[in-house]
Amino acid sequence: MQNGTLTELFVRWTGKLGLNYEFLATGYEAQIWRDGFVTTIYLVLLLIPVSLLFGVLFAACLTSGKPWLLAPVRAFVEITRNTPTLVQLMFSFLALNTFVSNLLGGAQHNPLTPFFWVVAVVGLHVAALHAEALRAGIEAVPASLVEAARGIGFSRLEILRYVEVPLAFRTSLPAIVNNLINLVKLTTVGNAIAVSEITYASIMVWTQRDNVVELMLVILAFFSLLNFIVARIGKWVERRLAVPGYGI
Amino acid sequence: MTTNADTAIVRLEDVRLAFGQTEVLKGIDLAINKGDAVSIIGPSGSGKSTLLRCINALVTPQSGRITVAGTRVDQLTRESERIALRKRVGIVFQQYNLFPHLTVLENIVLAPTRILGVARQEAEKLARELLEKVRLSDKANAFPGQLSGGQQQRVAIARALAMKPELVLFDEVTSALDPETVGEVLWVIRDLIRDGMTSILVTHEMRFAEEISDTVVFTENGRIVAQGSPREIFHGNDNARIRQFVGGLSGARGSVRDGEGI
Ligand SMILES: Nc1ncnc2c1ncn2[C@@H]1O[C@H](COP(=O)(O)OP(=O)(O)O)[C@@H](O)[C@H]1O
Ligand SMILES: [Mg+2]
Repeated sequence: MQNGTLTELFVRWTGKLGLNYEFLATGYEAQIWRDGFVTTIYLVLLLIPVSLLFGVLFAACLTSGKPWLLAPVRAFVEITRNTPTLVQLMFSFLALNTFVSNLLGGAQHNPLTPFFWVVAVVGLHVAALHAEALRAGIEAVPASLVEAARGIGFSRLEILRYVEVPLAFRTSLPAIVNNLINLVKLTTVGNAIAVSEITYASIMVWTQRDNVVELMLVILAFFSLLNFIVARIGKWVERRLAVPGYGI
Repeated sequence: MTTNADTAIVRLEDVRLAFGQTEVLKGIDLAINKGDAVSIIGPSGSGKSTLLRCINALVTPQSGRITVAGTRVDQLTRESERIALRKRVGIVFQQYNLFPHLTVLENIVLAPTRILGVARQEAEKLARELLEKVRLSDKANAFPGQLSGGQQQRVAIARALAMKPELVLFDEVTSALDPETVGEVLWVIRDLIRDGMTSILVTHEMRFAEEISDTVVFTENGRIVAQGSPREIFHGNDNARIRQFVGGLSGARGSVRDGEGI
């Protein structure tokens, strides 16, 4: 089999360099490891839109001028910005999740998985960071431009959607890309609650194989590659959205 | 000007407005006929912009009646009702305020398509007609940042007209412009008035006001201290204050703008 020989070639070749990738030739551990990559990529692909969606939502609340929208979101943003994401995740999974289980009459009735909690906690955490960046961008939109839009007959939400968010997104894009790079790295907190993303999967492998350095090399390269892609896409979007004659 | 209830498209009666402790409008009475052009002149801070904002419900006075095209603006209680009014009353500001991230064409079609529900094709057709009217057909795909002030202001006028308003308010639309580009904007407004668009202009361009206005209104300190035909206002002898104000502005063309100060 083409694939098998390629793997064997790789294992033999790296073996000569003193690196132990022998597990790749086995069925079970190789599968766990491959699934780890897939899970991490899956998390990233899910978390980026989730964080952006809630980021816009939070920013809308923060700039609404309505205390009942502003106060809870402001409180959430402050808490999530100032506390460790790992602690938030453990709290959510150990406390909130248990609470939900009790509410539904037992863990077997609780549909919320550890995977869900990683998406919720990391997604909302990064959303809070997006929201702060977007809020600054929205507040930087000149009041006279907003008044002109009102004068035409745009509602508050329409101004947000067609004027403020497009402009704020442009000004805050560098900050948002930074947040997304952080997001990619934050997916690793999943390993604290047994979500088998790549670090969790790797731990499973290296406790058996004693090949920490070998796996670490790949993990570091993997995250560098993911974030290289995120940064490139960010630059591409920035160029696409650039407005001639406008300083952002 | 003689006006009766049937022909007035805008009517203000004893309109009073204060921002906190500052009384800005101290009892404004004004009636404007459909198809007329009315210029509002007066020193800075006399409440001219606030008066315009009352007419399209951007601000709400504390008391008085405002009737615009059959709507009692002062009685509107919900924001959605005010929005409905604003769609019928165009307003153009000193700072153009085009949407900087949209091309000229998109600036003009955004509101008709998104908030009036006009079909894209139809909105674009109207937008191109309006661009021709303001003589900017070749700039449809330019961004605002690539245009001169005078060009941007003409786009802003086209954007207001795309809503097919029943009247248009102009708030010092040439005050921020380089002297060379003032003329091209005034041309567009002149055309509009000739076509019969009801227009209310706050302006410091006295010669223009004299030329195109049916009525000129002089405001000072939140009150209308005189109103009448351009001849009465600019060449009458009975109001020394107006002559002093107009004289102060028209000394040099540059001082027309400097006179407004801050
Ligand atoms: N939103 C506002 N809040 C507080 N004061 C305002 C506001 N808008 C205008 N004013 C004040 O009302 C007065 C009249 O302003 P304005 O209508 O802009 O005058 P004009 O257009 O004739 O120069 C000024 O003293 C100005 O400072
Ligand atoms: Mg003003």
